[in-house]
Amino acid sequence: MASSLLRTLIPFDIYGGMKLTGKYFGKVLLQSNRGTKRTHIVVEYPETPVTLMPRYRGRLQMIKDEQGEIKCVCCLACEKICPTQVITIEKGKKEGRKTPYPTRYDFEMERCIFCEFCVESCGFDSIILNHQFELAAYNREDFSHGTEGVFQNMYDLTPVGHYSVASEE
Amino acid sequence: MFKTEEMEINLGPQHPSTHGVLRVKLHLDGETVTRCVPMIGYLHRGVEKICEDKTFFQGQVWTDRTDYVAAISNNLGWVEGVEKLFGITTPRRAHYIRTMLTELNRITSHLLWLGTHALDIGAMTVFLYAFREREEVLSIFEAFCGARLTTTAFRIGGLREDIPPGFEKQVRAFQARFLDCIEEYETLLTENRIWKKRTIGVAPLNAEDAIALGVTGPVLRAAGSSYDIRKAFPYAAYAEMDFDVPTQTAGDTYARYLVRLAEMRQSHRIVNQCLDGLPEGPVMAKLPKVLKSEVNEVYHAIEAPKGELGYYFIGEKGSQSPYRMHIRAPSFINLQALPKMTEGRLLADVIAAIGTLDVVLGEVDR
Repeated sequence: MASSLLRTLIPFDIYGGMKLTGKYFGKVLLQSNRGTKRTHIVVEYPETPVTLMPRYRGRLQMIKDEQGEIKCVCCLACEKICPTQVITIEKGKKEGRKTPYPTRYDFEMERCIFCEFCVESCGFDSIILNHQFELAAYNREDFSHGTEGVFQNMYDLTPVGHYSVASEE
Repeated sequence: MFKTEEMEINLGPQHPSTHGVLRVKLHLDGETVTRCVPMIGYLHRGVEKICEDKTFFQGQVWTDRTDYVAAISNNLGWVEGVEKLFGITTPRRAHYIRTMLTELNRITSHLLWLGTHALDIGAMTVFLYAFREREEVLSIFEAFCGARLTTTAFRIGGLREDIPPGFEKQVRAFQARFLDCIEEYETLLTENRIWKKRTIGVAPLNAEDAIALGVTGPVLRAAGSSYDIRKAFPYAAYAEMDFDVPTQTAGDTYARYLVRLAEMRQSHRIVNQCLDGLPEGPVMAKLPKVLKSEVNEVYHAIEAPKGELGYYFIGEKGSQSPYRMHIRAPSFINLQALPKMTEGRLLADVIAAIGTLDVVLGEVDR
């Protein structure tokens, strides 16, 4: 009786919550987030790079081999498996190359859902999803990454985005 | 002197407390709700129809986008349903990894529920702590499959890849501190007098009504029934796991809160068991190049964080895609309990009722 009255008068329950909040408030106040050691959750993104996992699924990119030649041989496996049909390939020939050569490899990024089925289906390891995640553009045409294009194309990373990839361990 | 009449107001479709585009038509007599009609369909994309045109492999990406809070549970329902349709046996290691990720997904779903539900009712702090842990689990998903929300984590017949190096360490680091984190949420809420006043006796639903309405999941278990598909019809590796089904008898908002917190503890137990007993072996079964279904039908239900999630397939002879696919979405069916829970009660309790049902509008409308 007396204890229940005391508990109603003195808010022990509220005190417990306030103590916890105060503990974390003080901890964050006394530590800085800009050091190398990660002390709290919030990442101040443009100033501090984001840490991505090695398997992160970003934008589709085509791989070239050591001779600077495109690995893709136009088997159309990626075009077939794509759930949203964003990949269009045109087969062509190139002088001095035995296998077919993609004269056109269109990737409409605005409809891509980054499921990685295309990379999985590729038997020649000629495409990957890279670690690029800043994918905004001003014009709709900029989302269609073809094999040509100075600012955005299928071979190179666009020079935006600030990230680092976590090590395997 | 004063003219009193019933007033009809809309709650939503764009209201911060409806968790998406849910519109609730309310008839009010003063502050008392006399009639409550949930109006749905604002997020309808026709997932079931789209999947009829896609192959069984491709259809999985749409399941990420039904219940986007618990994408991995939806992936599991899809792949296990398809495996049942074609009679594919999945390796045991794949089952264990699937179970572990699904349970981690249950934790993220419940954490999101806890944060937003407490925020609706007026407790801001829990939201920040719940999202702190959710962030950590999402990076575990990112390490496993490369995406945080739309995971597409599993493949028909197993997994795409084995767990990455360092994955077990990452999960164990999370497991080591998660129980203390639940203690922190409990410190903030369980004994808090404002939280208790706001939840005890609010939006009650007894077991009889819940069963009559088809309500499943934590809402049903808080009413006293212990129906859990993980125990009743074990799938994946749940038959080998040792866990309890937490129940309460009160059937109000506070009871549902207690059940969900207890479920997070059980999920934590299951993840530990999966990590300890992870068998060696392959993660992918041998599959034919092209899946061809005979005419037959399959219903496969799993225990998603929201309740019974069922995938119903009708195969077509010689076709690579389902003839018809239906999703028994737990949010959709649980939402039908909203009028029962709110009619005759106060307007402010409608917010608590929507929050406690834990609906995801992507799944309600599909």
